[in-house]
Amino acid sequence: MTLDIGGSHLDTSWFLLLSAILFVLGAAGVLVRRNPLVILISIELMLNAANLTLVTFSRQLQNLEGQLFALMSMTVAAAEAVVGLAILVDIFRTRDAEDIDDLSELRG
Amino acid sequence: MAIAVFFVAAAIAVLGGIGVVTFRQPIRSVLSLVLVMLALSVLFLLLSAQFIFAVQIIVYAGAVMVLFLFVIALLGPARELARGRLRFQTWLSALFVLVLLGLLWAMLQGVQYRQPEKADLSFFGTVQSIGVGLFTTYLYPFELTSILLLVAAIGAIYLSRRRIDDR
Repeated sequence: MTLDIGGSHLDTSWFLLLSAILFVLGAAGVLVRRNPLVILISIELMLNAANLTLVTFSRQLQNLEGQLFALMSMTVAAAEAVVGLAILVDIFRTRDAEDIDDLSELRG
Repeated sequence: MAIAVFFVAAAIAVLGGIGVVTFRQPIRSVLSLVLVMLALSVLFLLLSAQFIFAVQIIVYAGAVMVLFLFVIALLGPARELARGRLRFQTWLSALFVLVLLGLLWAMLQGVQYRQPEKADLSFFGTVQSIGVGLFTTYLYPFELTSILLLVAAIGAIYLSRRRIDDR
């Protein structure tokens, strides 16, 4: 399936593949990195990749709902970043938690 | 022309994504993420989503990333140690990530695209069309997001307040 953008023909699956690659990179960041701040950044990367999928399908189906949902998802991402960073600042205030593995008090 | 723009923006986005994961210092990860967001905003413009393009730059690359930079400046530079406590974490993660990429690839092969009936893109994604959508059909979710933002703001203020009783 091709999209006609300014006379050039781009494949829809290119956009979807790029989105998949970015999502997987974000997932790798969440799994591999141990700095809690970098984990939050990787989650933002995954949310951005999901937004690209939404906007791509919105353009493909010529249906505006995908773009509106991308807006909602940006709002949720902003709220998530604010609360996550507030929690991080609160944790860092009492001690140095450079490694997410140090935050293991909830272990049963 | 559009194809060249797409591939340049996609290359920048992938390089930025790799930078987010591999840089040791958090501030470089944040700046790489800003790069990814700018590249993605170009792609949004290609997909005729002008309003999302503006919001992506103003809200995401502007506000959210500045928030991250402020927190890094507040907490000071923290280098990540090279080795973690879990010995097989990297290999397990690599396996998981490869499986996930293969799964997404397999799903992409089976997508059935539907051709839309109308072909008029002159109003698609403009501020006007987005505004009409937000304030008529999707008014209720739009108002709910305002409550979500209010809750997030109150929660952030509550979490980051100075505690008097324990110092």
